Amino acid sequence: MKKGIQAWLDERFGLSGITDFMTKKSVPLHKHTVWYYTGSAILLFFAIQIVTGFMLVLYYKPTLEMANESVGRIMTEIPLGWIIRSVHSWSASFMIVFVFVHLLSIWIAKSYRSPRELTWMSGVLLLFISLFFGFTGYLLPWDDLSFSATKVGTDIPRAIPVVGAWVTNLLRGGEDVTGDTLTRFFGIHVCMLPVFIFILLAIHIYLVQKLGMSLPLDVEGKQEKVKEIPFWPNFVFREMIVWFLLVGILFSIAIFFPPSLEKAADVMAPAPEGIKPEWYFLFLFQTLKIFPAHVLFVSGETLAVLLMVLAIVLFFFLPFFDTKPAGTKGKVITILAYVFILYALVMSVWSLL
Amino acid sequence: MKLRYSLFTRRQFLSGLIGGWVGAFLASLVYPIVKFIFPPYKEPDEVILPLADYQDMPPNSVKNFAWGSKLGLMKKNDNGIYIAFVGVCTHLDCNVSYINEQRKFFCACHDGWYDENGINIGGPPPAPLRRLTLVIAGEEMIVKKESPEEAS
Repeated sequence: MKKGIQAWLDERFGLSGITDFMTKKSVPLHKHTVWYYTGSAILLFFAIQIVTGFMLVLYYKPTLEMANESVGRIMTEIPLGWIIRSVHSWSASFMIVFVFVHLLSIWIAKSYRSPRELTWMSGVLLLFISLFFGFTGYLLPWDDLSFSATKVGTDIPRAIPVVGAWVTNLLRGGEDVTGDTLTRFFGIHVCMLPVFIFILLAIHIYLVQKLGMSLPLDVEGKQEKVKEIPFWPNFVFREMIVWFLLVGILFSIAIFFPPSLEKAADVMAPAPEGIKPEWYFLFLFQTLKIFPAHVLFVSGETLAVLLMVLAIVLFFFLPFFDTKPAGTKGKVITILAYVFILYALVMSVWSLL
Repeated sequence: MKLRYSLFTRRQFLSGLIGGWVGAFLASLVYPIVKFIFPPYKEPDEVILPLADYQDMPPNSVKNFAWGSKLGLMKKNDNGIYIAFVGVCTHLDCNVSYINEQRKFFCACHDGWYDENGINIGGPPPAPLRRLTLVIAGEEMIVKKESPEEAS
């Protein structure tokens, strides 16, 4: 019976190509194999975001009048709603953590080199989409904190010459952060970004399969054959152990530290003290803060934002600057990675002081 | 007693154990999801209405009120006595209206008819309109969820 259904479906879909590939696929085993787990951890948290997101959108109301109240209702009235919101909020952070770890591991291992340039670039775009997910989601509870953070965040592009003001207006849906911004962010968060992330994810994962797992430098150089284990079921089972651990940690934290909900934002009220963006934007937030008002003939903010844009562009095109063949060392790039980590950590901690 | 043959192999036992454990784990994830997607609904125990809003009703007429999230109908009889209904057809949940010339409640969805006391008299409705207990206390009308028979 099961065989029959399988054969029937295979005849129509041609699934055997995929299943054959999965059974033949193998994962290299070496001392850096642990980094291979970060990709599936991201997928795990992404899957949790999809499920909890589907659930929250059943009750969330993306309007100026109702947004804060509907989140309050989810937290207090809907059975287990507080856990669902808490898991959605925490899982977002976990996902970002693993996106950064995944990216840094690839950066330091130089896995982006030819022929994996497009894998890297699609990955960087996925990072930005993830961050944009976080940024748009942060506004949705519509409390003082999220409102102010969004005002600051959407004001940043304004510092870019020529197109800046236009970008800010586009993001806000007008000159200021209003109910239109809320509805717009909701639409971006639940309609647009999911479509883009799925397209990019498909490209990214296809490329990883097509080009095979990258080997770290010190393994690739060796003459003897690298040990491998089958992807299915050996590696997947190992990954599942990691998933169980991560789900346990996520739920424990979500239950004991649910996110708060302040009173609804008043667009006319002065900004509350100590406004902060989500933790993954803290280092950028602090960078903007420390720039002086004027540097030579441009404003400090403009300079800071332009530097950030430049850094992002360089970062995106990294595989085309570092064109050494795979397997050769690249000290400068490695040092840059550690400098970035150090910078981000110091700035983030500083912004909290 | 020692069995001569084992009932299942070691592999079957372990697979069953793991399968059962994974099943239990998944069930523990599905449970909160199912709980969450059904919002709690509680019918109000009672609804208090200001008498002043209903005092000026002509005899043989009805006026709406909110019975939780359902339509409530307040009817004033010819003798000045008020009775309260849940104004929802017992067939398929449509809201009914009162046609005072005919002294009947009418459901437009499937041509259902009730008499002036809410008794089903024509069309598909299988049961009378639900009656609610009404107590007038001072300046307030208190509508309670029990039917008048239960209350008395």
